Amino acid sequence: MIIQAPVKNRAIDRETVGTRHVERTGTVADTGSFSRPYPSAAEPAVIQVGDLRKSFRSGFLKRRIRGIEGVSFSVAKGSVFALLGHNGAGKTTTINCILDLVHPDGGDVKIMGMDYRDPASRARVGYLPERPYFFDHLTGRELLQFYARLLNISKEKRAARIDEVLGMVGMTSFAGRRLNKFSKGMLQRIGLAQAILGDPDLLILDEPMSGLDPIGRREVRELLLDLKRAGKTIILSSHIVPDVEIIADTVGILKDGCMAVVRDLNEMNPGFSYTGDLALSGARPDWLPSDHTVMVDGKVRVNVGSVGKLRNLLNDCHRESIPLVSLETHRSCLEELFMEINRDSAVKTEVAR
Amino acid sequence: MTGNILTLAASTFLETVRDRIFYLVAVFGFIMLASTAILSPLTVGAQAKIMADVGLASMVVFGLLVVVFVGSSMVRKELDKGTIVTILSKPVGRREYLIGKFLGLNLTLVSMLAVMGLVFLLMLFLAPGSFSLRFLGAFYLTFLELTLINAVVVLFSTSVSPVLAAVFTLGVFAVGHLSQSIRDFGQLQSSVFQRQMSELVYYLTPNLEVFNLRGAVVHGAAVSGQHLFMATVYCVAWTVLRLVIAGSIFSRKELRG
Repeated sequence: MIIQAPVKNRAIDRETVGTRHVERTGTVADTGSFSRPYPSAAEPAVIQVGDLRKSFRSGFLKRRIRGIEGVSFSVAKGSVFALLGHNGAGKTTTINCILDLVHPDGGDVKIMGMDYRDPASRARVGYLPERPYFFDHLTGRELLQFYARLLNISKEKRAARIDEVLGMVGMTSFAGRRLNKFSKGMLQRIGLAQAILGDPDLLILDEPMSGLDPIGRREVRELLLDLKRAGKTIILSSHIVPDVEIIADTVGILKDGCMAVVRDLNEMNPGFSYTGDLALSGARPDWLPSDHTVMVDGKVRVNVGSVGKLRNLLNDCHRESIPLVSLETHRSCLEELFMEINRDSAVKTEVAR
Repeated sequence: MTGNILTLAASTFLETVRDRIFYLVAVFGFIMLASTAILSPLTVGAQAKIMADVGLASMVVFGLLVVVFVGSSMVRKELDKGTIVTILSKPVGRREYLIGKFLGLNLTLVSMLAVMGLVFLLMLFLAPGSFSLRFLGAFYLTFLELTLINAVVVLFSTSVSPVLAAVFTLGVFAVGHLSQSIRDFGQLQSSVFQRQMSELVYYLTPNLEVFNLRGAVVHGAAVSGQHLFMATVYCVAWTVLRLVIAGSIFSRKELRG
């Protein structure tokens, strides 16, 4: 139910109630869990990842360390899928497996119906690594010419396309400069330029905003939204929740190498949740949410998960002349979900300290 | 496929050029001039032979230095810096990548040998009576020898560190020039083990003496067409074998994006 994001932009239905429930153990279970790994036949998946597993050998005794375990997801044409997870959760390993940079222990990946091990499957894929580094003896334009040749862009179209992508990433005026004179942010931009150079159908971006200043982040975000509007399919990894919320249609949260949950952001309550304190003088009205808390000073604390529910609460309070003495805004549902999933990791980190 | 290989080869060539590798050619020219100036008074009547000897030996030494020290770090540098991941995320096969790098370095080698050869012939031309086109055969055999060494260094660079790759390659170069002698020496031993070991060394290392007719050429002998043909076949066979093994190792390598 949740695995495939629709092509349309996310509609902000603030009345929708999420399907997530939190178990007593503190883990998050998705009620519409990952029962259907691939999209329906009506909307073909650009990429299908099934039960991907990868472990690494480490240390003197070459002990096996889990990289990822049973990662499955698929991304429909034109949608943006975000891999969200803390550092070391397995985002980059998943991407490396998809691109055949590391060899998975098991599982399967199909890119536009082709086996991921076939180099031809990457003909319509653009990739930006987490720490982009390129031949520093080349200028920005020479680097893009090199990639354009690898992408078989014809000589006639090459120059125009390079100018176009340089403009898109705001690097036109630096195109003649050698890459060893580039800052980290400039490398990130030129990396993005090489990723979109071949006008790919699928973009795989590993931490595309890292290393960018706030203005650069905003520009890249806008660029990604433009690409999304142009119908590109995007997989991006990040641990920055607000960026993911703005760009992605679907989010897969990785924890310790496993896909903890895959969620369609259309079906979550985007934005923020709210806590209101009501000063009740008489009996508690029946419209109060069941999870309300009675405070020591007699006030009643109510949690609402969306603007729509907040509006209803305000209407009810107004109708029955119940004063709302305070209103607190909380972080987004996605961030909350992310924090809940990673609570155990956070506790472990705290204990380790 | 061919397009990708050529693109990668051109890029590798450009990288070596911008790394100022051709400064070595200037050093070569200086050695040629110095050998003329310094050795002339000591070698009455044999000035041209000494010059040709020093010149041809310098070509091998400088060519070897470039192949070993550029080749040993060529792939590793890209693995360490991560430039390789964006290349292999394009529709480029790993074997294509490796062949492209090999050809790029060979292009550098050809260019260096060509320039050094021209300097060499120019110096001989200026020394009366010593210029001869038979040296072209020696140039070609040197090129074949270093091409084979290039394939060896590419093979080592896919599996061990640059330092070890350089040491192993220099070892193959040394043993390659001695392999026939090692085999002959082994056959004289009474121990079966020693005989078998010398045979093993002979078959595991290329016989680089096939390409070493420099002494004969300096003393006026010409390289026959048949020898050039057989040396070419020998070089191609060893090179292809080494690249196939290197490609197989490199295909299994784990890269980090």
